[in-house]
Amino acid sequence: MRGNFIKPSAISKPSKRLGHIQANELPPLPPPYEDLNNLTLSGLKDEKIANIEASLDDTVAIGIPRPKNKEEEEKYIRAFLSGLRKLFEKKNNWGFLQPLLLSMEYCAKCQTCSDACPVFEMSGRQEIYRPTFRSEVFRRLYKKYIKPGGKLTSKLTGDIDLNWTTVARLAELAYRCTLCRRCASVCPIGVDNALITHEIRKLFSQEMGIAPKEIHEKGTLQHLRVGSTTGMNPVAVKDSMDFIQEEMEEITGYKLEIPWDKEGADILLLHNAGEVLAWPENVGAFAIIFQAAGISWTFSSEELGYDVVNYGLWYDDVQMARVAIKHAEIAKKLKVKKMIIGECGHAHKALAVIADRVLTGDLNIPRESGFVILDEIVSSGKIKFDPSRNNFPVTLHDPCNVVRAMGIVEPQRRILRKIAPQFREMTPHGVDNYCCGGGSGFAIMSGFNFAEWRTLVSSRKKFLQILDAFKGEPQDVPKYVCAPCSNCKGAIRDILEYYHAKERSHIYYGGLVELIVNAMVDMKKPMIKFDEESF
Amino acid sequence: MEELNWWEKEIKSSLYNELKFMIPEILFLRGVWLENRQVWKVSFPFHFGLYMLLATLVLLFVGAVAMIFGAKITAGGSTLSLLIYYLTILVGFIGLTLGTVGGTGLIYRRVSDPALKNYSSFADYFNLAFLFLFFVSGLLTWLFHDHAFDGARAYIYSLLTFGGQPEGYTSSRSFLGEGTIVLASLVMAYIPMTHMSHMFMKYFLYHFVRWEDKPNFKGSRIEAMILKNLGFKPTWAAGHIGADGEKTWVDIATSGPTRNK
Ligand code: SF4
Ligand code: SF4
Repeated sequence: MRGNFIKPSAISKPSKRLGHIQANELPPLPPPYEDLNNLTLSGLKDEKIANIEASLDDTVAIGIPRPKNKEEEEKYIRAFLSGLRKLFEKKNNWGFLQPLLLSMEYCAKCQTCSDACPVFEMSGRQEIYRPTFRSEVFRRLYKKYIKPGGKLTSKLTGDIDLNWTTVARLAELAYRCTLCRRCASVCPIGVDNALITHEIRKLFSQEMGIAPKEIHEKGTLQHLRVGSTTGMNPVAVKDSMDFIQEEMEEITGYKLEIPWDKEGADILLLHNAGEVLAWPENVGAFAIIFQAAGISWTFSSEELGYDVVNYGLWYDDVQMARVAIKHAEIAKKLKVKKMIIGECGHAHKALAVIADRVLTGDLNIPRESGFVILDEIVSSGKIKFDPSRNNFPVTLHDPCNVVRAMGIVEPQRRILRKIAPQFREMTPHGVDNYCCGGGSGFAIMSGFNFAEWRTLVSSRKKFLQILDAFKGEPQDVPKYVCAPCSNCKGAIRDILEYYHAKERSHIYYGGLVELIVNAMVDMKKPMIKFDEESF
Repeated sequence: MEELNWWEKEIKSSLYNELKFMIPEILFLRGVWLENRQVWKVSFPFHFGLYMLLATLVLLFVGAVAMIFGAKITAGGSTLSLLIYYLTILVGFIGLTLGTVGGTGLIYRRVSDPALKNYSSFADYFNLAFLFLFFVSGLLTWLFHDHAFDGARAYIYSLLTFGGQPEGYTSSRSFLGEGTIVLASLVMAYIPMTHMSHMFMKYFLYHFVRWEDKPNFKGSRIEAMILKNLGFKPTWAAGHIGADGEKTWVDIATSGPTRNK
């Protein structure tokens, strides 16, 4: 079935699947990647999806168990309706009610948002991924079941059946949008389809306990229980950091002291703990820069104090508030002047923006983006740089949560213009950037074939942008995608691997601080070594 | 937030910048022009037509008031009445024409483009058709009965004077003219009830959704509001929330099943 003929009401009509990714409908990759244009998703194995809901498209993000009988089905529907009502009650949703209502009421269905959405575009314009498809389904449910007289007027305002298929597909569909808010930024009216997606996710999590396990069980629950979504407890993190300290000395020849739990330090530096495991050089580079600039800072070894991620941002207000409050309590205990967020986009938004509506009194400790202080350090002249050490093509990926959500656009660029002579922008960039495709939890979700869907569809636009930024560069010249966000780095790592970009175009990726340290005159040896694992 | 210690800096918000953005946005649909040129081609005339008719209404009102004070709004009056007279005709005519053209285009697009059609409900078509009908009947009235909007002005005059007739005006009632008046009144009553008020709601959407970035400072009004909201007792049912209808948001956010290992 060609996606284009599906109407929102189709969501309730049971079928094997509603949308389907076809290789020949995806926007083509340029040379030397044409042979990969026939890549498509490996099919879901029947025995794997026998007992779960998988009728939305070719992948599964949550895997909701199928109800065993009519009663169970009814139970799901009742719970859904009860959650739907709560989303529109002030006591249950005071934080987002106003923008949600505005987004429910004022969409003119002009479809301007559709062309802005990378998932929709890169899927070959699969109707189910259109930003307004999901929103319209939800809007119709809202109008029918929440608005007074809705059942009577629904024939006029657009009807929809509420059954198990609708509920289950809607839950899955809420995880086909990266919450990048590119659609919202172009909507002439100011309707926010990403917010609608976010609220749908909340309904499922907060009322029905339904969310992908990577972000709930292994995510926020593990974070609050053990101290980190990586599963690292304080002992493990300190061990890893000791190792990083040694390795950094080994790599750069620079003697590093990492401060822990220093009460009264000016700054509490918070990283995504994923960096410690996957990109330890990022954590090390931050430490070198702060030390070299003579900054008074500390890490915290308390549970949660070494992992700034907040997966609650993507799907659950309560989990989000619990994590943010813990972070603030730790900073308060250490009596720091401010908290600095490292290269993690979601943490930027969660801690600096959304937590602003949660933290009060003594817990409202100033929070600042790491890019701002890095910019200050680089421009201050406290550290000597030799930009020629970064004399290779560099492009910058903008994390959505940093640029679009917070308006932090210039600091990271000022730094690159200073230290990377061959820096060039992607098109478009800044507040108009495209998501890496890994936003809102996608980068860590890999159940079934979801990671494949991500690389093939939601990250495809980013891959095309990266190739475009390096167009015309000789094949054998190493090229660097600066992706200053752990989540984005994960997504970009996966696309580069999936499309063999390292072998075919010598494209590498890494963070911002690695480039800064690489250009520091005091470093005896280079930090960035292409073709070599640095750790 | 791009600045070091942003919370110590004065928050710059400028009315000038805001107007510089909002005026082209509301009047000329700047966003649609930039992001969706195809839709703009029909959406702009439609919206601009509506605004022009709003202006016409104001001009008719001014004219009627002037008449109450004895002025004559004709082609041969004082400079002011001349101005009102011709401006009403010009603005009214352009408004009606643009509205009709834009309305035709919007309806055509909505039926012919599956991306729009699939998302349109009966109410969407009804709203459009309703406004379109108003534009067309207005245009026809102008064409056949009321080239100078004298009839329309006389109607407002009679509203303001509780049934009075402007001096020297001989009413020539027409089916079209009355139809237009009924439609115009319905349009004015109906728009606020539908999503069509988005033209004006934009102001709120942009302010409170898109641009809302007032930080919460200790002791601020926002903090007081947050504290009040944190006192609500949520009823979310999922197990991990631990809500029982008695615990407040504060209780829930500072505890939770996850802390009890
Ligand atoms: S969300 Fe905005 S851009 Fe998208 S269809 Fe609705 S009004 Fe148009
Ligand atoms: S938030 Fe991003 S991914 Fe989601 S619908 Fe909007 S543009 Fe598409």
